[in-house]
This record gives sequence, C-alpha cells and structure tokens, in this order.
Amino acid sequence: MTICESIDTLAMAYLDDELAGEERRELELHLTECTGCRARFDDERAEHAMIERVLAAPPAPDLLRARIGRALDSEDAAHDRAARARRSRWVLPGASILAAVAAIAVFVGVRPVHERDPGAVAAEAIHQQMRNLPLEVRGPNTGPWLRANFEPNVEPPQVEEPGTQLVGARLLPHGINGHDGAMLAYQINLNGSPFVLSVLIVRDVRDDEMADGDAVQVNGRTMHVVQADGQVMVTVVAKHMGYMFMAPELSTNELVWLVGRTTLVGAVW
Amino acid sequence: MQAVKAQRSEFERQALAHVDALYGAAYRLTRNPRDAEDLVQDSLLRAYRFWDSFQQNSNCKAWLLRIVTNTFINEYQRRKRSREVLDAATAEQEATDGVLVHAAANDKQSPEGALLAHSVSDDVQRALDQLPDDFRTAVILCDMQGLSYKEIAEIMECPVGTVMSRLFRGRKLLASALREFALAEGYLKPTATTKIDADDRTIDLEKYRAARATREGSR
Repeated sequence: MTICESIDTLAMAYLDDELAGEERRELELHLTECTGCRARFDDERAEHAMIERVLAAPPAPDLLRARIGRALDSEDAAHDRAARARRSRWVLPGASILAAVAAIAVFVGVRPVHERDPGAVAAEAIHQQMRNLPLEVRGPNTGPWLRANFEPNVEPPQVEEPGTQLVGARLLPHGINGHDGAMLAYQINLNGSPFVLSVLIVRDVRDDEMADGDAVQVNGRTMHVVQADGQVMVTVVAKHMGYMFMAPELSTNELVWLVGRTTLVGAVW
Repeated sequence: MQAVKAQRSEFERQALAHVDALYGAAYRLTRNPRDAEDLVQDSLLRAYRFWDSFQQNSNCKAWLLRIVTNTFINEYQRRKRSREVLDAATAEQEATDGVLVHAAANDKQSPEGALLAHSVSDDVQRALDQLPDDFRTAVILCDMQGLSYKEIAEIMECPVGTVMSRLFRGRKLLASALREFALAEGYLKPTATTKIDADDRTIDLEKYRAARATREGSR
C-alpha cells in the first residue's frame, strides 16, 4: 500500500489527528509532490470543515441546568431516605431498650440516655408543650407571623424531610423561665406514618443554659438529649436562640437524626 | 452525609462542566430540543448514580458521552417510535392551521436571515435523519465532540477500523445529502466535479501501517 493508494485513509486520519509524527511528515512531504493526492486531500479538508460547522449545536438552556440540579437533589434525598430506612430497622418496632442504646451508640456516638435532671428551661418547656394550647396562626403565614410577633430575625426551622409541613405556631404566654418563647407544630411523614413534631423556640439563651443532658454531635452540630416526664427532647442553641424538639412517636435516635438535618434559618450552626 | 456532599460537589465540578457538550450531542442524536433535554438529564442522573464506577484520571467527557449514547440507543429510539404514531395524527391538524403561526414566528428575525437559518438547520436535521444510527453516532462523537478513534471504539464497542469506516461513510453520506439540499435550494451551483462513490474506497489504516513497516524493514 503506497501513500497514493491509501490517500483516503491517510487524509482522514491526518485531519482527525490520529497519525503518528513520522506518518504525518511523510504525508505532508508527499502532498507537496503529488497533485492528485493534494486535490483529494483538499476536498477532504473542505468536507471535514463543513461538517464540523453544520453540526454545531446551541448551548444547553439554563432551565435544563436548573432541572439537572433538582434531579440531583431528589436523588440525594432518596439516597438519604434509603440509608435512614436501613438505620431505623435497627431500633424501631419491638426493639428493646438495650438495642436502642446500642444503636444510638453505634450510629450517633452518644452515651446511653439517663433519666436525670433535665435542667430548668427544658423541664418547663416540656411542661408547657404538654399543655395543649391552640395555635394562633396556621399555614403559610406562620413565618411572617413569627417574625412580626416573636423575633424579626428568626424563621421557622426548615425540617429537611420530604413531605414535612409547618402546621402553625403560637406564642408561649408566660415564656419559659423568663425567656420569651414560641411553639411551632410540624406534621411529618416518616416511613409512611404521619406524626407531629413540636419545636419550642426561646429567645436570649446562653449556650450553657440548655447544656443539660447528653451531648451529641451530628454533622458537626452539638445538641443535647434530655428526658423528663417520660418525654425525650433534643435541644440546640444557635445565635442566642434556643430550640427544643419533641416528637413522642420517634425513637431518640430518629429525633436526633431529624434535628441534625434541620436548618435553623438566621442561625449559624 | 458528608461523604454524599463531597461526592455531589466533585460530580458537579467534573461532570456538569460538560453539560453544553452533552446537550450538543443529544441535540444531534435526537434531532429534537425536547428529547435532547430529557436525554441529558436522564444520562447525568445515571452518571451520578454510577459516579463510583467512573475511573478518576480517565476522560470524563468520553465516559459521559458513552452514557448518553447508550441511553439514547436503549430508550429514546423506542420512545421516538411510539411517539411518531401520535405525532402523525397531530401533524395533520397542524398542517391545516399551523402554517400561519409558523410564518409569524419566523418574521421576528430578519426575513432573509430567518429563511436561511431555518433552511440550513432543517437541512442538517434531514441529512442526519438519512444516516444509519451507527454512522451518525460516530460522526457526532468525532466531529462534534473531538473524541479519538480509540475512545469512540470503546463507546461503540467495536474495533477502531470499524469506527474509521463508519466515520468515512457517515461523512460522505452527510456531505452528499447536504450538497443535494444546497443544490435544490439554490445555495450551490452544480459543478462538473464527478462524485466519487464512497463505496469504492477502502479505509484501512492498519493495512497501510503494515505495508509501511515492511517497507521500512526492507530498506
């Protein structure tokens, strides 16, 4: 096979940058000497350029980028749900206290929860939460209402659990141990069953005021697990706001997990 | 949880940089913006799920294009066939009341510009339609995406020699289809150049290289 016999192959491989250095030089030299091959080569090059030009396509629309971002978000959420379902199976139905304690120790690295003095703020919070006062606001107005009536720099915590709904809120008429407070109610669907999560928010809290109970670290956030009147509560202090989470239907492990994934808007974790 | 976040940002950094390229390939493969968007989204979601299996240090764009190509072959061809049946019904309706709408839309650009842009892109799509899938895929991966013969061979799961002959014939078919449209529309004047039939030519780099090695050896 001479160069002339292989000119189609060589021209194509040359234009596609697939020839080795020595092969390139041979072809280039040949093209200066052979007018027939030169003509064929020039035709190929023109065709090559034309095809590249006509194939040019528009860039991806911005909406597509946004769609992809959302698709990845829901993929992440599905991944988290699957991981959680695996964890929950360890501790949920019929599991003994021992299994629950072991699971907590393994998955969130916490010491066993003891019934002990929950601290004055938490004890009062639990007491207040158990009095069933009606909500003062319901639905989508809850956020604005909270800013107007409680604290302008705070938003309802964002519980990052799909299917979560903020039901409403009310102020705590007597506050909690001298702190202004508000109570928020959420409805959450976890593993298919709906339950209520209540969150108490109190203002002007020092970090050490709600440090009773067992300290837990989740996602680099410090929270405390306390127990009183048979109720488990998870507390967090952020930007001088105290948050207390309660959900009687959840295991301690699940509640800790849920709070670890909750965004406190206007607060720094 | 942290691991998931790290994986997400790494995926965004490496893979999402190629969205334009993937959309371009999908646009030419599906020949339809709506299908192209779906194809890119499905492919990237699949890529994200299997990100573990992507070998770092290898060509990310080639890996993504492989997923786009496979997804297209497996799903979009099938979907397209079932939709064509539906489209045939609506086309009849649009043929009667759609003509005016179409003309109005084109008037928004400069009349000549609109006409030219419209015909040229139409011609490209019609020319691509005429290509067998394997030829079209090879041409898109090479001339649009700049992949090497070896990378295309891996994506299409065939020898490099097959890639070369698909590319050669695909380009000839595409060029001659475009030339016909250009002639028919009056963009190109017929010339005396005789058309060389692609089927008469053989593309075989290995054979040339073997012959060349023999020559070198005997020198």
